[in-house]
Amino acid sequence: MPKAYLIHISGIVQGVGFRPYVKILADRLGLGGYVKNLGGGEVEIYVEGERSGEFLDALLNGRPKAIYIEEVKAVEVEPRGARAFVIEKSSEEVQTPSMIPPDLAICEDCLREVLGGGGRRGRYPFNSCSFCGPRFSVIRRLPYDRENTSWSAFPMCEECAREYSSAEVGGVRRFFYQGISCRNDGPRLTLLDSAGRPVEAEDPISEAARLVEEGRIVAVKGVGGFHIFALASDDGVVAELRRRKRRPSQPFAVMALDLETAGRLVVVDGAAAELLTSPRRPVVLLPKRDGSPASPLVSPGLDREGVFLPYTALHYLLLSEIRDRFAIATSGNIHGEPMCTDRRCVLRLGVADYVLDHDLEIVHRVDDSVVRFTAGRPVLLRRGRGYAPVWVKMPLRLGRAAVAFGADLQTAGAVGVGDKAVLTQYIGDLDSFRALEDLDRELRWLAQAYRAEAPALVCDLNPAYSSHRLCREWAGELNAEVYTVQHHHAHALAAAADVGVAEPFLAVAIDGVGLGEDGAAWGGEVLYVEGPRYERVRHLTYVPMPGGDLAAVRPARMALAYLFKHFGEDWGLVERLKLAGRLPGGLAEAQIAAREIKSPRIYTSSVGRFLDAVAAALGVAWERTYEGEPAIRLEAAASGGRLLQLDAEDQVELFGRLVELYLRGADVKDLAYTAQYKLGQILGKWACETAERKGVRHIVVGGGVAVNDYIIAGLESVCGRAALPSKTPPGDGGIALGQLYYLAHLGI
Amino acid sequence: LSHGSGGVETSEIVEKLFLRRLPEGLKKVAGGLGLDFPDDAAAIPMADGRYLVVTVDAYTVNPPFFPGGDIGMLAASGSINDVLMLGGRPLAMLDSIIAEEGLPYETLDRVVKSFLSVLEAEGVALIGGDFKVMPKGQLDKIVITTVGIGVADRIIVDKPRHGDKIVVSDFVGDHGAVILMLQMGDVDKPEQLQLKSDVKPLTKLMVPLVEKYGEYIHAARDPTRGGLAMVLNDWAKAGGGVIVVEEESLPVRPEVASYAGMLGIDPLYLASEGAAVLAVDPAVAEEVVKFMRGLGFQNARVVGEFREARQHRGYVLLKTVAGGLRILEPPRGDIVPRIC
Ligand SMILES: [Fe+3]
Ligand SMILES: [Mg+2]
Ligand SMILES: [Zn+2]
Ligand SMILES: [Zn+2]
Repeated sequence: MPKAYLIHISGIVQGVGFRPYVKILADRLGLGGYVKNLGGGEVEIYVEGERSGEFLDALLNGRPKAIYIEEVKAVEVEPRGARAFVIEKSSEEVQTPSMIPPDLAICEDCLREVLGGGGRRGRYPFNSCSFCGPRFSVIRRLPYDRENTSWSAFPMCEECAREYSSAEVGGVRRFFYQGISCRNDGPRLTLLDSAGRPVEAEDPISEAARLVEEGRIVAVKGVGGFHIFALASDDGVVAELRRRKRRPSQPFAVMALDLETAGRLVVVDGAAAELLTSPRRPVVLLPKRDGSPASPLVSPGLDREGVFLPYTALHYLLLSEIRDRFAIATSGNIHGEPMCTDRRCVLRLGVADYVLDHDLEIVHRVDDSVVRFTAGRPVLLRRGRGYAPVWVKMPLRLGRAAVAFGADLQTAGAVGVGDKAVLTQYIGDLDSFRALEDLDRELRWLAQAYRAEAPALVCDLNPAYSSHRLCREWAGELNAEVYTVQHHHAHALAAAADVGVAEPFLAVAIDGVGLGEDGAAWGGEVLYVEGPRYERVRHLTYVPMPGGDLAAVRPARMALAYLFKHFGEDWGLVERLKLAGRLPGGLAEAQIAAREIKSPRIYTSSVGRFLDAVAAALGVAWERTYEGEPAIRLEAAASGGRLLQLDAEDQVELFGRLVELYLRGADVKDLAYTAQYKLGQILGKWACETAERKGVRHIVVGGGVAVNDYIIAGLESVCGRAALPSKTPPGDGGIALGQLYYLAHLGI
Repeated sequence: LSHGSGGVETSEIVEKLFLRRLPEGLKKVAGGLGLDFPDDAAAIPMADGRYLVVTVDAYTVNPPFFPGGDIGMLAASGSINDVLMLGGRPLAMLDSIIAEEGLPYETLDRVVKSFLSVLEAEGVALIGGDFKVMPKGQLDKIVITTVGIGVADRIIVDKPRHGDKIVVSDFVGDHGAVILMLQMGDVDKPEQLQLKSDVKPLTKLMVPLVEKYGEYIHAARDPTRGGLAMVLNDWAKAGGGVIVVEEESLPVRPEVASYAGMLGIDPLYLASEGAAVLAVDPAVAEEVVKFMRGLGFQNARVVGEFREARQHRGYVLLKTVAGGLRILEPPRGDIVPRIC
């Protein structure tokens, strides 16, 4: 008696060869039935036949990595007597558009074709198939059909056309693959010099590899933008790159040919290997290996290196011809500006000696994603290639469409439809006008793609944010209402939405700064959140923030503020801690700051500013050349440290104790460790006391500092395991999710 | 308090208190310029086709004496400059002085002397006035209100046009930096200051300039409260476009930049009391700059450009040396943290 099953699957099931894959599998098992697209990222499969019981298992276990499955529902049904298996045309009235597929790293089959040498795809730098290759970065409009992508500029050759139109010829990987191409019809590479003049070369990739090996700096067009390639093993080259990029110490990412090469640079465990080789192919921050062949200038002062594996054939070919088999691959941009996506921009940068360009147009700029491990769990620092624009399902639904504008630095926006929050790719810092334009463009694009008509608008409370201003601009244009959310409330809600919590919860929201309802700069908050409301249960003790934002740029100012708060205005201590020398304006600036500390214009409860203060006081870091630098260096400095015994009620007392111990000669690494771990314990104590009092089960942690290993370890030593976001960055790159979730709680 | 500081908050409160309540017809005299448009002064059309230009401002500054000038000079120059910036030739002034009880006679004497000396040098008549004393503690030493009156053949209503060059006559932010320094107590004695206020009337610059190039000047403003950032943001909004400024070309004295830097303040938000900002037709912009230099304004220069825009109207963008485009926000009275 043949059995039959009706199966519903949701996830990335469009644009990744899912339906051909299902058909080929069903044919192999001799099953009848159909597969059809229901829209909204959902697919319906009906199978019947003797072996239909094996179908689901085979489908899930044997599937290519590119097919990301969110949810599966299968029920046994009455057989209907279907013989053949067909791909049913998706009905025209499919309501919700499907998930827009992210860009996928080259798959093993495609790589084999490239490295195998022969045929139309031997050494073909753009080789891809149904299971891999660029997607989001090349989509102009939906649906995802070739004529709506950058591939439309490359008419298929006869052989590609045959593969495309026949399952027998093309197989599951090429049949109906929208980005199909080969050496004969695909994009072309051009090597240019720094003035934009073409450089004659038999093989531009080999020539580019030779140039990198020679110590030249070469810009290479990737999937979502340009990378700057340079030797990572040569101090001189790295120093020159730093000079040209005006980037004194921000770490560079390193691309390594394979896991084995990566393993020479960093410690790669199982979880890291899985991430590194996943189709998302993010940059992963991993512990540096002793004796790593990478120059210390690649990531000065840090104990981790950002490493990733090649994600296109082009990168594989390039790296395999560089003797090191690894190289710096950092984004090609002006500091603080969006990454270049075309030749003109990259030539204007003036960073590269040569440019390896190609003519597959980048429609959406997509930066590399960055992942690190915090307390053993992977967390996103930057959500770009491979992740965006995959949606996040919220535990509550929005009644109507909404657009969220995020925060201001390292930010992303989002469009919300139903229970789906579609975050834009990482946009960057909005004090750059070009980044603001990108945010505007991407939000408009997503709003159109997901038919978010007459959306409600939501942005941060802070009127000085460019995202807030953009939100008001939209409101004027659309005549729509604007909702504002306090920054840390949004962090709390983002974390809750990410981990799937809908009932009242407790949040530890820790970050650099967000504007509080009282005008102070918040950032060390314990919030009790219930529905759309929150209660600010505890926060770090207010400390003056001399110079406002300037205190964030010059950490020694915060050290002064903490010092005077705890010890009074003691200039002897300032001298012993050499704090004046750590300000660009020296003693005069210290005096100006001291005067302001006596009559503060603004106060802060920020954890970021506390870490800055500690970093400056301990002499670990007193410059901020990239976001979070002092805190990141302080975390690195704590590596191998141990917990010092001390009592502190709050972070001010903690700072005081640390300074006393420092002046008595305690080890900086122990002090750095204790500063962070103990702070985590203080926050943890506040959080679980409140959780108990309120009878709340869930404790979530959000905000940019939530990625700090030692703070989380300290917090969890008191509280037990707390939930960290995993699908979105805990920092401001995820805040748009919280803004949407706020509207969902409001019933909008 | 931030509502009086000249930033976003000031325009909010003016909007709420006055503009919304006043019928359109009473915001100006027909054919002239009034509350309906934010500019330096008001204008009333006269029978001969010229305009009567009128402006009023209350001056209070702590301390009343500062390197480079005093409140008397400021009150005279400020209203003269406002008349000039609308294209007028200053003719007369009225004043109203309110002194705090107990203010030493010598102080008052010095202030008034310096006030009158400006009028004398400029040939501006003082045609009326008022003097009052208020009980101690009800005001800070002295407030001088002046009404400036002038006549213009053609008024300069601040509406930059596509392609206009933004011209600045001099270094910006000097006055603001000096006052801030004194208020913050960052200098013990004013003589230690290496800086002085730039307070001065701009008659010698503006009258010949307007005479010769008036039709090419599409906007003129003295960047007082809110500084250059305020002027440019107003203009970007008024013109419905975008202003792009080359960071490198901005005239800021290094002393001003470094002091403002220590306070966490962008010098572009600091007031000038003796500088002019113009939007000039690109065809004559270089010629205008040359002409200004010839009048003794050696630091005059083009700093940027106004462009029409379809989207993001009202933005002022700072093109950095490295090629970035930063947004120059309109000034705010209170500090709001933004950096994470
Ligand atoms: Fe934040
Ligand atoms: Mg004017
Ligand atoms: Zn493939
Ligand atoms: Zn082909």
